[in-house]
Amino acid sequence: MIYLYFLVAIAVVIAAQRLNDLRAKRVLFLLLGAALLCAPLFDRNDATFNVLADAGIFVLLALGLNIVVGFAGLLDLGYAAFFAIGAYAYAMMASPQFNLHLPFWLLLFLAAAFAAIFGIILGAPTLRLRGDYLAIVTLGFGEIVPQIFQNLTKYTGGPNGIGALDFPSFFGRSFGQSTIPYYYVVLALIALALFFAYNLRDSRLGRAWMAIREDELAARHMGINTTAVKLAAFALGASFSGLAGVVFAAKLSLVSPDLFQFQVSVLIVSMLVLGGMGNIPGVIVGALVLVLVNNVVLPQANTIAASAGLHVDFGNYHFFIYGAILVGIMLFRPEGLLPSRQRKEELHHAAA
Amino acid sequence: MHEFLAQLFNGIALGGIYALIALGYTMVYGIIGLINFAHGDVYTLGSFFALTIFTALGVSGELHGVALIVDVAIALIGAALLCGIVGVLIERLAYRRLRNAPRLAPLITAIGISFILENAMQIWKGPAPVPFPAVVPNPSIVIAGVAVGAQQFLLVGLAVVMMVALQLFIHNTRLGRAMRATAEDRDAAQLMGININKTIMLTFLIGSALAGVAGFVSGVYYQSTWFFNGFGAGLKAFTAAVLGGIGNIAGAMLGGFVIGIIESFATWKFGGQWSNVTVFAILILVLVFRPSGLLGEAVYERA
Amino acid sequence: MRLILATVALAALAACSGANNASTSKNTTTTTTAVTAAPSPVPSGQVVKIGIDLPLSGGDASVGISTEQGALLAVDEAQKEMPRGFTLQGEALDDSVQGVHNPEQGVSNVRSFISDAAVLAVVGPYNSNVARAEIPVTNAAGLAQIGPSVVADNLTIGPDAAQLRRANPSLNTFFRVCTTDSRQGSALAQFARSLGFKRAYIIDDNETYGLDLADRFEKDFANDGGSVLARDHLAKNTQDFKSLLLKVLAAKPDVVFFGGVTSTGGGLIRKQMFSVGLGKIAYMGGDGLADLATVAAGQADGSYYTLAAPNAEKLPAAQAFVKAYRTKYNADIGPYSANAYAAAQVAAAAIIRAIKNAHGEAERAAVVANVASTKLETPIGPISFDKYGDVTNPVLSLYGFKNGQSYFIRQIQLKL
Repeated sequence: MIYLYFLVAIAVVIAAQRLNDLRAKRVLFLLLGAALLCAPLFDRNDATFNVLADAGIFVLLALGLNIVVGFAGLLDLGYAAFFAIGAYAYAMMASPQFNLHLPFWLLLFLAAAFAAIFGIILGAPTLRLRGDYLAIVTLGFGEIVPQIFQNLTKYTGGPNGIGALDFPSFFGRSFGQSTIPYYYVVLALIALALFFAYNLRDSRLGRAWMAIREDELAARHMGINTTAVKLAAFALGASFSGLAGVVFAAKLSLVSPDLFQFQVSVLIVSMLVLGGMGNIPGVIVGALVLVLVNNVVLPQANTIAASAGLHVDFGNYHFFIYGAILVGIMLFRPEGLLPSRQRKEELHHAAA
Repeated sequence: MHEFLAQLFNGIALGGIYALIALGYTMVYGIIGLINFAHGDVYTLGSFFALTIFTALGVSGELHGVALIVDVAIALIGAALLCGIVGVLIERLAYRRLRNAPRLAPLITAIGISFILENAMQIWKGPAPVPFPAVVPNPSIVIAGVAVGAQQFLLVGLAVVMMVALQLFIHNTRLGRAMRATAEDRDAAQLMGININKTIMLTFLIGSALAGVAGFVSGVYYQSTWFFNGFGAGLKAFTAAVLGGIGNIAGAMLGGFVIGIIESFATWKFGGQWSNVTVFAILILVLVFRPSGLLGEAVYERA
Repeated sequence: MRLILATVALAALAACSGANNASTSKNTTTTTTAVTAAPSPVPSGQVVKIGIDLPLSGGDASVGISTEQGALLAVDEAQKEMPRGFTLQGEALDDSVQGVHNPEQGVSNVRSFISDAAVLAVVGPYNSNVARAEIPVTNAAGLAQIGPSVVADNLTIGPDAAQLRRANPSLNTFFRVCTTDSRQGSALAQFARSLGFKRAYIIDDNETYGLDLADRFEKDFANDGGSVLARDHLAKNTQDFKSLLLKVLAAKPDVVFFGGVTSTGGGLIRKQMFSVGLGKIAYMGGDGLADLATVAAGQADGSYYTLAAPNAEKLPAAQAFVKAYRTKYNADIGPYSANAYAAAQVAAAAIIRAIKNAHGEAERAAVVANVASTKLETPIGPISFDKYGDVTNPVLSLYGFKNGQSYFIRQIQLKL
C-alpha cells in the first residue's frame, strides 16, 4: 500500500518534468496535490501517513538544501545542523523542559528565523572560502552542533534529549497521537516551499545564484554582490531546514542529538545528487526514492528476503547504497536522474 | 607541571598519527586540488590489513628479537603497499574521470567512496571495535618524572622520518619534480613530457601508503581498531593539514602535532566530551581567519 | 498527453485501493485526537505475531542481532504451546537508519505493527531513546510492549514516564524484563564499597545508558561513604582515551567506574589503563561491560560488572536456553539474548492465555492485562511486574574477570 503512494507520487513528478506544456504541468501537480489531500479520507492507516509525513519532511529538507547546493552551487555538508536547530527550538519552547508552551504555529516561524540567523552567522565569515573548503567548514559545523546539544545537559537534556513535547493544536483541536494532521501540515509546507522555490529560482536573486554557480568571477564582474547573494541562499536554505525540524520534533514528540548526525546531511545531499541538483522535480523524486529505500524497503528487506529463503542482511548496506549513488551518479550522470536542462548543459560543457 | 608534561607527551604521540594521515591529505590536495575525503578510511583499512597480516603470520602477542623486526616489517610494508594499491584504484575508478569536472564533483564522489569503504570494512570485520594484538613491547622511559612508553618515541620518530623522506623525495628526485610540476600547472607539465596520469597515480600510491603506515601504527599503539575510526581521525587530520597550510608537507606534520596536543589538553582541561568540539572549532576558525594556515598558500576563491 | 492519462489513472487506482483498505479497518476512530482503537480481535485459525523492533544493522547490529535471535528462539519454542489453529510468528523490523538506532524509524516500525491486526505484542526496542519515542504510540494503541534491555529510569517511573502515558494515563502498556539504571547503579555502589573501594573516578560515555548509570553510582557511592574524585565524559568517534586516563592517574583512585558499554569506549579504556600505568587499578561498570573480554582479553582481569539476574549457573532455565541457542544459531549468546528470550516468552505466554480465555480470539487489551499479571520462570530468573512495568524481583549479580574469563562473585536482592 505504502509503495503505491510513493510510486504514484514519483510517477506524477517525473511525468510533469517530461511535459513541455506549462499548463499541463500545473494540472498534473494540482491533481497529485488533490489526490494526496483526499487520501486520508479513504485510507485511515496511521502507519502509512507516518511514513508519508516523514517522506514529506525529507522533501522539505531536500527543497531547502537545493537552494544552497542546487541553485547557488555551495556544497553544504552540515545541513542537518539547521534541522537540529529547528527541532531543538521547538523542543525547548514547547515542552515541560523550561515550562514554556509556545504554540506550534508561532514556533514554525520562530524556528525558521533562528535557523536562518545561524545560517548567516556561519555563512558570513566563511562564504568567501573556496567551495571545497566551505564544504568542510559546514561539515565541521554539522559535527559541532549536535555535540553541543549533547553536552549542554542542563538545557538540552544531554544525550537523553527532550521528550514529551507539546502536541500542536489546530483551532483548539489537539493533534494527539494521530499522524494524519502532521501529514497535512507537511503537505502545506511543501506547497509553500514549492511556491518559494519556484519564485526564487525565477527571480533576480535566482538568476544571480545561477550566475555564481556557473562562474563566480564573471558574476562578480557583472556587478553581483556575491557574498550577499550567497548569504541569502544560505539563510533561506537553513530556514527550510528549521521548518522541517519543528514538524519533525513535534511529530516524534522527542529530540535527541543522535538524530542529527553527519549521515543525515549526506543523506540529503544524496537525494539531491540522485534526483538532479538544481531541478525542483528532480530533488523531490530523489528524496522520495531514498526515503522509500531507507524507511520502507530496508527495514523490511531482511524479512522479505527470509521469506524468499534468502539469508542476506540488507540492513547492513545503507552506507553502501548512498556511496554507490554518490559515486555512480557523479561519474556517469552528474546532472542526476531528472536534471534541469540548464544544469545538464553546464555540467556537460564543463566536462568537455 | 608533571601532569602538563604527561599530557604534552601524550598529545605529541596522538599528533604523530594525525600527522601521518595529514601527509597524504596534503600531498593529494597539493597536487590535484582534491580533498580526498576517503583518505581517513584508507587509514582504517591500513589497520585492518596489518591485523590480517599479523593473524596470517600467527602473531597474537608480544614479539621479541628477530621475530619482532621481521614480522613488524612485513605487516608495516604489507599494510602500506595494500593501502597504496587501494588508493590508486580509488583514483582510477572515482576521481580520474572527474579531473576536469567542477570542483565539487570529485568531492562528492570522495564522500561516496568513504561510505562504501566504511560499509565494506563493517561487513568485513563487524560493527564492533576489533582487538589488535599487542605486538611491540612498550617499556616505560622516565623523562622529567613522567613515564613515557617506548612506543610513543617510535611512533613520533616514524612520523618524522616519513615526513623527511617525503620532503627529500619531492625535492630531489625526478618523480618528485614531476609531481611539483603537475601541481604547478598540469597542462604545461604535460607539454614538457610528464605523464600526468602516472604522476597522479604515484601521488595516490604514496599518500595512501602513508595512511596505511598510520593505520598500522594506530593498531599497534591502541591495540584496537574499528571500521568507523577513519571518519573522526580523517577529519582531525584534515584539520591538521589545513592548520599547517594545505599542500605544505612540513605544515601537515606541524599541524598534526599541534592538533594532537590541543586535543590532549582540551580533554585535560575541558573534559573529554569537548575535545571534538574544540578541534572542529579550530578548523572553522583557522579557515575563517587564516585560511592559508601556519605555513601555506591562500585558499580564497580566486578572484 | 498519454503520460498524463496514465498518471491520472494511477492516482485513481491509489484512491480505489485506499477505499478498499478503509473498508477492512472500519472500526478505527475518526477523530484525530482520540486514542486509536484496537483493530478487531483475531479470529481462530490465523497467524498471530509478536513484533520485534531492534537495531539490526550498523554499529548496534552485533548486539541487536543476537538479541533478535533470543526473541525468535522463544517464539519458536512457544509454537508448541499455541492453541490449535493458531500459528505464532515473530516479525522483526530494523530500527537503525544509516547504521544508527533511530527513534523515528522505531516509531515507524511500531506504527506498522499497530496497523497489522495480527500483531498482539511487541518486543523491543533496544535503546532508551527509541523507547521514549515508541511508548506514547503503543500506549495510545493499547499494544503491549516488552523491552529486553532499555534501562533508563524515566521510562517507567516519575513525571517523565507519566508524560509518555498521557494518551492513556490509566493504562500501562510498557514492561521491561531488565533492571533500571538506578537499581543497577545502586547495586554497583554497594558492591564497590563491599569490595573495599574508597576512591572512585567516574567516567561515562555520554550516552543515555551510561550517563544515568554513572549518575546513580556517583550518588550512592558517595552516600555509602566512598569519595568520588571526579566525573568525566567521553567524546564520540575517538580511540585515544590516554589523555583522560592521565587525569585519572593523577587523581589516584582505587577504582575506575565506567558508565557505558564495551563498544562505546569501555573496552578501550580498560586496555589503555595499562599503557598509562593504571593496569593494577580495579575497573567496574554495569551489564554493558559483560563482554569486556572480547576487546580487552586478559587485560579484563581486575574488572567487575553486574548483571540484573540471578547467577545463571544456578538456573536450569538458563542452562537449557544457552544450549538451545547454541544448537539453533551455532553461536554463543549475546549480552541481551537471554533478556529478549524472556521478553518474548512473557509476550507469548500472555498471548496464549488470551486466546485460551477468550476461547479462540485474541485481543490486544487482554494481552496487556496478561503481561501485567505475568508470573513466569525464565533464563534470567522469575519474572513478574509491578504497576509501572518494572520487574518485582530485582536480584543483581556481581561478576569479575580472571584469566580473561568472567566468574560469578555473589548476588544481592535490592530493597525497593
